[in-house]
Amino acid sequence: MRTDLRLAWLLVRGSDRQEWWRIALTAVGAMCATGLGLAAAALASVRGSRSSAFGHGLLDHPGERSGVIVALLLLLVPVLGFLGQCTRIGAVHRDRRAAALRLAGAEPGRVRRITALETGLACLLGSVLATAVAVPVLPAEWPRPSVPAWAGTVLVAAGVPVLGTAAGLLALRRVVASPLGWVRRNRPRSGRGVGPAFLGALLVVVAATVLAVASTSTGTAGSDDASGPLVVFAAVLAVGVGAVWLTGTFSGLTGRLLAARTGTPAVLIAAERLRDDPWAAARAHAAVLLVTVVGTGFVGVRQVLLAELEEMRRRHELGTDIAFYTTGVNLTAVAIGLALVIVLTALAVGAAESLATRRRGLAAQVAAGVPRPVLGRALLLETALPLAPAVLVAGLGGLAIGIGYARTGPDGSAGWSVPYAALLVPAGVYAACLLAAAASLPLLRRSVRPGQLRYA
Amino acid sequence: MSNRPVPLLVARDLVKAHGSTPALRGARLELAAGEIVAVTGASGSGKSTLLHCLAGIVRPDGGAVTYAGERVDALPERRLSELRRTDFGVVFQFGQLIPELTALDNVALPLMLAGTAREAAQERAAGWLERFGAGERPGLRPGELSGGQAQRVALARALVTGPRVVFADEPTGALDSLASEQVMTALVHTARETGAAVLVVTHDAQVAAYADREVRLQDGVTAGLEVCA
Repeated sequence: MRTDLRLAWLLVRGSDRQEWWRIALTAVGAMCATGLGLAAAALASVRGSRSSAFGHGLLDHPGERSGVIVALLLLLVPVLGFLGQCTRIGAVHRDRRAAALRLAGAEPGRVRRITALETGLACLLGSVLATAVAVPVLPAEWPRPSVPAWAGTVLVAAGVPVLGTAAGLLALRRVVASPLGWVRRNRPRSGRGVGPAFLGALLVVVAATVLAVASTSTGTAGSDDASGPLVVFAAVLAVGVGAVWLTGTFSGLTGRLLAARTGTPAVLIAAERLRDDPWAAARAHAAVLLVTVVGTGFVGVRQVLLAELEEMRRRHELGTDIAFYTTGVNLTAVAIGLALVIVLTALAVGAAESLATRRRGLAAQVAAGVPRPVLGRALLLETALPLAPAVLVAGLGGLAIGIGYARTGPDGSAGWSVPYAALLVPAGVYAACLLAAAASLPLLRRSVRPGQLRYA
Repeated sequence: MSNRPVPLLVARDLVKAHGSTPALRGARLELAAGEIVAVTGASGSGKSTLLHCLAGIVRPDGGAVTYAGERVDALPERRLSELRRTDFGVVFQFGQLIPELTALDNVALPLMLAGTAREAAQERAAGWLERFGAGERPGLRPGELSGGQAQRVALARALVTGPRVVFADEPTGALDSLASEQVMTALVHTARETGAAVLVVTHDAQVAAYADREVRLQDGVTAGLEVCA
């Protein structure tokens, strides 16, 4: 392991400028993860009720604090996904290096380990930076931080690089570096659907949610209400999965139809790509679609909740300051927004990565006379065509969830209005996805050169 | 009784196809310790595939490869990697050096992978770079070296562990005639000194002339053997 670490360090140190942006992105992801982890650890170390200057009392009692901690930990999921995406970029750039390591006698597992350790080192950088900021803040907010608070800090600071390395290993599990990797790259065709790992993760989320809702609802007054969150959760999941499935199905259908009929080169190239791997868009956009459903639904739910709170305040039925409730609602909005930013960033990184992977094929097309603007339009169409119906379904599904929530509220359908503002979410997400795809176009101009065809 | 020495590496009736395209169709070859053999043939005759099968980089679809009594084609990946670390050295036309590592660290890499401390590995690597006339600027990265220099660094890396067999696939394919001569002279000279066997794949008659024996491949079959001068 020491030799592997040393080799990983040598490789990081010798990386060229193009590689450094990947290391920087990984470090930024690790910084976010460490920040979220440190905040969760600090909150978890607080015992009993205590007054806090933050969150209008949301952090004062153990029950609410638990909710905030869970939300912080859930935000780690997209961050870890982002870190995994960064590792994949490295994997492509380092194919040749991995092949050379294999030729020198390294086993496939060892090559993966060295590659993952490189990610670990980048995560260590991010973790150190975040901890360096957090450690002076902790005593400032808590005059005498407890031993568990410091222990949690150390655990998180050390745990993020370890988790980053583990996430790297997981993301690279299918990367097989052969000693001939630089000569011939035999990769399995990626015509798979969403895959058992995705379905497994989904099952874990479902089970955890059912457990969490059931365990916090039993024995409390009005425990029948437990069915409400479960129904909303099930609806979000169903719409999200439906949108992902629609992306794959629509990609294949669009690809087949357009490839047979179009006379435009850009559309033809995009259609052939969609026909070749219809599930690529579904895999790339699954997280975005789920966040779209949650975001659209939340805008509707938020509208109803705020209206109800206002009504209760008017009737003097609120036990505490209204800010206590609105802060929770607004923090949820921030968390969803943050999740959206993270998945969109991962999408932009994925788009650039996809371009880097295909640069030889694209270079061959340029060499054969296909103008770069045509390739650029084809790349945008590959995102735009399958995503349009999926985002529409995700948005309408989210809107329906918001409306359904409003109609089943305490006042029934009285006084509710359709939250049309929620429709801005899918429109914004669609535009952001296209922007993320467009962000990779400069890379098309810079990295796809017919001259590359002389090599390998 | 034949005067031929006991073969170190033996390939029998090798068959290999890339998809539906046959590359080897019953190729046979023997390589004795200390022997230098050139495999020649037209483009697409299966020369490189034969070398890849012999070095355990690619598994043949049929036939057998035996090295020192061990069936290479049936070895697990871990043992194959170990063989490449200890007994085999591989040189390609280009691409085998790691761009992020210096010339010195590239040569030291197989030793480090085998567990040698970096300082000791670098010391031995420096000696090999000197030997191949590439020791003047060991801190340069592959991108800063000329083609001939890079190939001499690659040779040093292939030989640093003291392999018993060196596989060279078109080692001079990307070099001019002067650099080709320097590289081949260095390879042959070192092989004679260390007693390593060399299997060199080439389409260049001048390179083949360095060998003790030439094996011609035609359409995936060893077409004939010729003893060189």
